[in-house]
Amino acid sequence: MCPVLSHLDGRFESADAEAEHRIAVLYQEFGGPLLRHVRKSTGNDLQWAEDVVQETLVRAWRNSARLQWEPGLLWAWLLTVARRIVIDGRRRKSVRPHEVEPPEVDMMAVPDGSERALSAIVVADALRSLSDEHREVIEQTYLRDRTISEAAAILGIPPGTVKSRLYYGIRALRELLRDKGVAG
Amino acid sequence: MHDGVAAYVLGVLDDSEHEAFERHLEVCEQCQAELVELAEVPDRLDELKQAPSASEDDPPMSMSR
Ligand SMILES: [Zn+2]
Repeated sequence: MCPVLSHLDGRFESADAEAEHRIAVLYQEFGGPLLRHVRKSTGNDLQWAEDVVQETLVRAWRNSARLQWEPGLLWAWLLTVARRIVIDGRRRKSVRPHEVEPPEVDMMAVPDGSERALSAIVVADALRSLSDEHREVIEQTYLRDRTISEAAAILGIPPGTVKSRLYYGIRALRELLRDKGVAG
Repeated sequence: MHDGVAAYVLGVLDDSEHEAFERHLEVCEQCQAELVELAEVPDRLDELKQAPSASEDDPPMSMSR
């Protein structure tokens, strides 16, 4: 049974008390791991990371159906929700004009000597061994903080095509990373 | 609809599609399973985003051509 729900077995006198308990349990179960995870994508901005975790857990708390998911699925969903909140925040904070290209992702500029850098090299290699079509949509969406429709306009292909190529590209990337032992 | 799971995991769906996919995810076990499989792929890609550049003047690695 989901650890979140195992604490909720009808011992509450009111809906408010249950809701309060439920969010406390969510924080207890997921708050720490989620904060550690989110900090990596906020550039160690702790205040921002804490806000993201809070918003993520509040969204989960509002959605009782999801709290019945098994923990692995709930965790994957929480990571995804948190990532989207970080990306939205970065888009809002971004003041660069739309027509200015962000710097190319420089695949070669990876210093060696650390586990993280080694892993980045493996990921860069995996990305390079994808087909051009698959690599291109990954670069033009996630790696540049662009949505599907923004990338579609830039690439001159339909949004549905971007979405579908992303699907096969990300699946292929995951297979490659798993073979190399760095997939999660 | 199922192929939206990768874009969803990456957080790059446009708002209306993102919401539609969230509703789909509630009822689709196939996409739930794929969400678990793919959930950490973006973290691997983040390692590229955060890798410090040696020099801004370095020619970018040719990725698509
Ligand atoms: Zn589905």
